[in-house]
Amino acid sequence: MLRKHPFLLNTLFLLIALIFSIGLGAVFIPPGTVLRILATQFPGIEIAPDWATSSSAIILSVRLPHTVLIALTGAALASSGAAYQGLFRNPLSDPYLIGVAAGAGLGAVIAMSLYWPTNLFGFYLIPIGAFVGAISTVLLVYNLAKVNGIVPLTTLILAGVAVGAFASALTSALMLRSDQQIHRAISFLLGGSPMMGWNPVIASLPYMIIGMGLLSFSGHALNVLQFGEEEAKQMGLAVDRAKIFVIVTASLTTAVAVAFSGVIGFVGLIVPHIIRMIWGPDYRRLIPLSVLAGATMLLLADMLARIILAPSTLPIGIVTAIFGAPFFLWILRRAKQEVFW
Amino acid sequence: MLTITSLRVAYGKRIILKDISMKVIAGEIVAVIGPNGAGKTTLIRSVSGTLPVEAGQVQVKERDVAQLPVVQRARYLAVVPQARQIGGAYSVNQAIMMGRTAYMGWLGRESESDCKAVELAIRQTGLEGFEERSIAELSGGEQQRVLLARALAQDTPVLLLDEPTNHLDLQHQASLLSLVRQLTREKNLAVLMAIHDLNLVSSFADKVALLVGGELRKFGTPQEVLQATHISEAYQTQVDVVAHPLTGVPMIFPRDMLNT
Repeated sequence: MLRKHPFLLNTLFLLIALIFSIGLGAVFIPPGTVLRILATQFPGIEIAPDWATSSSAIILSVRLPHTVLIALTGAALASSGAAYQGLFRNPLSDPYLIGVAAGAGLGAVIAMSLYWPTNLFGFYLIPIGAFVGAISTVLLVYNLAKVNGIVPLTTLILAGVAVGAFASALTSALMLRSDQQIHRAISFLLGGSPMMGWNPVIASLPYMIIGMGLLSFSGHALNVLQFGEEEAKQMGLAVDRAKIFVIVTASLTTAVAVAFSGVIGFVGLIVPHIIRMIWGPDYRRLIPLSVLAGATMLLLADMLARIILAPSTLPIGIVTAIFGAPFFLWILRRAKQEVFW
Repeated sequence: MLTITSLRVAYGKRIILKDISMKVIAGEIVAVIGPNGAGKTTLIRSVSGTLPVEAGQVQVKERDVAQLPVVQRARYLAVVPQARQIGGAYSVNQAIMMGRTAYMGWLGRESESDCKAVELAIRQTGLEGFEERSIAELSGGEQQRVLLARALAQDTPVLLLDEPTNHLDLQHQASLLSLVRQLTREKNLAVLMAIHDLNLVSSFADKVALLVGGELRKFGTPQEVLQATHISEAYQTQVDVVAHPLTGVPMIFPRDMLNT
């Protein structure tokens, strides 16, 4: 029954994941309390507190912003992964595997080394640097991987790995000459650990809304592109415009995620594939569903990262790689048969 | 309906098509034949607007379609490509609906007229009952009918087919082409079709365009073009032409067959 209502189901999962993510930590706050504390933030709702004042402070200034940032990051990576897969007609496209995330990371670190964010305005600048890095990488990888107008499975990943490694190496090299703050930036970027507090959330929101909003509008174009560029043109799609639109929006979306949460792999691979297997390949649904499910999936990974070695926290990128890498290999084997893709 | 005037296409310095002029009138199938490399597929692709044209004009209903933007052009010309592994496990219905791209706008929202056009195309190609099947699991013949339906849903006066029977067996070749012919008459389409099999051409085409080395060598009815001298010269192999015992259409047999 629920399979017939994918948006309802995925929204439900996301809400549950959000509430548990907020409750989880050194002090566990039960879902009921989380909901009541959140409710007090809405004007006109008065609830007599039956919780410790510290719970309220922990939730509102630490866990809520962290949870929202993780959810936004997961949504961004999954939806841009879906879009790259459609654009390149290649099931292994993932912002991490095709090197775009590393390029965005380099751009973000360069932006931070030029101007370390001390206020909100500074935070708004980081995604722009990341975006420049992301779009340069994707264009480079695409042109390196293209063979006679198509992008074969393996050359895309090989080009992505090479360009990604190059960008990561440049990022590491920056470490040698820069100051304390850049060290911090790089270790967070490479490990995939989200920034703290509300500033990154507020700074990423406008970019995220624009990026994911526009991506959600490109579903039909991506559908038509699955028949190949020439046929898409013959069916009446302005192919070049569509490609530029998707590349720019997907790269923007990836860049914002990387700018504040670091390089996190495989989310953009796993989530769209699961959605595609359950609800089919129609990109008009696939992208918005990837937004919802991507948020849920990364929240789950983040909760695992916080639980496994508690009280210390594992970088979230490690958790996604542990689950993602075997999944990648499985898709690699399946994609050759082109059954569900 | 479809008028090609002095069409010239080149890849770099190599000229693929020179000075091709022909007319395809409504309700008529013109088959483009010729040996490999003669430029059949290039002709289809350049007329469809996906290959740049160096000189000449392609007009549909007196409009120069080469000058039109992609979306506009797709309302004049639809292309049926060769059936092959189609990307994406779309349903038959979804795949045919994509033929409505030129009418849909960026979001791909399906209007009532889009749904009607798709329904009609499904009926015309006998795909009822297949609507929700995934195109990936269809046979070659069924996939080719889906591609034909997609082109019909595009609702154009001109239909271009690029070797549509290539991967089909005998039964599906004949049924596809008789379907194309029936639709050509019913919908008064102008059809230009690149095709290899000369005996299918003689049975199903109204006119034949013989291309050799990028030039239009002969243009006329099957009886006029499919003559032993023309075909032997064009294909560089001796052929015999005999009349079909039942229909009287010309049948072509390579002389090499007799030596073995």
